[in-house]
Amino acid sequence: MAAVEVRGLTKTFGRVTAVRDVSFTAPAGKVTGFLGPNGSGKTTTLRVLLGLVRPSAGEALIGGVPYGRLVRPRYRVGALLEATGFHPGRRARDHLRVLAVAGGMPDRRVDEVLGQVDLATVASRRVREFSLGMRQRLGLAAALLGDPEVLLLDEPANGLDPAGAAWLRGLLRSLASEGRTVVVASHVLSEVAQTVDHVVIVSAGQLRFAGPLGEIGETNTALESAFLKLTAIPG
Amino acid sequence: MVPMIRSEFRKLSTVRSPWLLLAAGPLIVVAGVTGLVESGANVHNPAVQNTALAHVGLAALLTLIFGIIAVAGEYRHGTITDTYLSFPGRGRVVAAKLAVYALVGAAAGLICTLVALAVTAAWWAAKGGTFHLSAGDTWRTLAGGVAANLAFAAIGVGVGALIRNLVGAVAAALAWIALVEGIVGQLLGSGLARWLPFYASEALDRASLTGTTRLLPQWGGGLVLLGYAAAFAAAAVLSTLKRDVT
Repeated sequence: MAAVEVRGLTKTFGRVTAVRDVSFTAPAGKVTGFLGPNGSGKTTTLRVLLGLVRPSAGEALIGGVPYGRLVRPRYRVGALLEATGFHPGRRARDHLRVLAVAGGMPDRRVDEVLGQVDLATVASRRVREFSLGMRQRLGLAAALLGDPEVLLLDEPANGLDPAGAAWLRGLLRSLASEGRTVVVASHVLSEVAQTVDHVVIVSAGQLRFAGPLGEIGETNTALESAFLKLTAIPG
Repeated sequence: MVPMIRSEFRKLSTVRSPWLLLAAGPLIVVAGVTGLVESGANVHNPAVQNTALAHVGLAALLTLIFGIIAVAGEYRHGTITDTYLSFPGRGRVVAAKLAVYALVGAAAGLICTLVALAVTAAWWAAKGGTFHLSAGDTWRTLAGGVAANLAFAAIGVGVGALIRNLVGAVAAALAWIALVEGIVGQLLGSGLARWLPFYASEALDRASLTGTTRLLPQWGGGLVLLGYAAAFAAAAVLSTLKRDVT
């Protein structure tokens, strides 16, 4: 199983430095919480890992190679970025069928993942009729389609109700227990404390902490105070 | 390349908007031919028969927008992210879209051609004229109309990949055709204007809607349009390779 590695990553957009010299490893078989306030560079880092954004310096590797060099990438990496990557007029099942044919997966997988995220009964509805939580589930279904060994999820609990959030925690735990590498970017600390083994904290584009959760506090309050201290911007 | 092409067809077959757009083509043809006849066209003149059939080329305006949707539409809805995750080789994604959209554009032109033949034949019969498929190189006008539909779909893919903003790309394309090219054409004079895309498509259709007499030969108009399609596609691929998808 492949680990996710970020080494000396820097990304500038014009005069703005979104990520500055960030390095960390997300080990296989663990859920890694990728934490930081809004605008701290989490999404940019994930997009570099996925080959969508070019690094200004450093590298981001999956199983030792950049995303663009993976063979059949959809079987290796599943990604959930934002809940906006849908054509509103396309039916949920068709959205997944498009991805299945692109990724070389059999159409049978479409119904399997629809069942896995509990959307089977609404799969023939057009996405414009979906709530944010349903879109989030559809995005997760897309990420799971290739049964990948690495999952990169940006704010996956966004829009999920409490039952959905609990379901997601169970899903992430079971994916990691199968030996997969799961990276969850989030700014919702309470979500993460109950789910992750490993924590990477960034703030203002810089790494503040990377290591096992136990090193900064298992309880919500301990984690929150550590998070606030680590992400505080001096001055 | 095969999964890319298959996924492009599947994308197209699972939404309605592109088909509604293309369905307007036959309507334009019916309205155009009917308007021509009702305004007193001489149905005994084989040249007028060609003018009627040249309306197929007008439907290329729709395949142009159809092509723009191919890439700019994916940016609008954010589905481009998934497309590039499936196929990190972005240049080949643009190439697959060019192939698929040009093919569908040509098919749309072919349907418009059949509709144009039927409507023209019907009006000619109603007005007592004689409609001859063999007269006045009719088939060349029809082939030119289909080629124009194909070429403008390909140009649209390039424009959409270059501009990426759907509304901006469609507005720019329509403004060029309705306004800018006419003005530029007058500034350049007819000797140079005939190399502009819309003038070239008139040469391809073998019918002048702008009233200019100095058009390229039909094959020349076709080559010029292909050149525009290739230039836009090359620029689109180059810019697509470099840009971040945020």
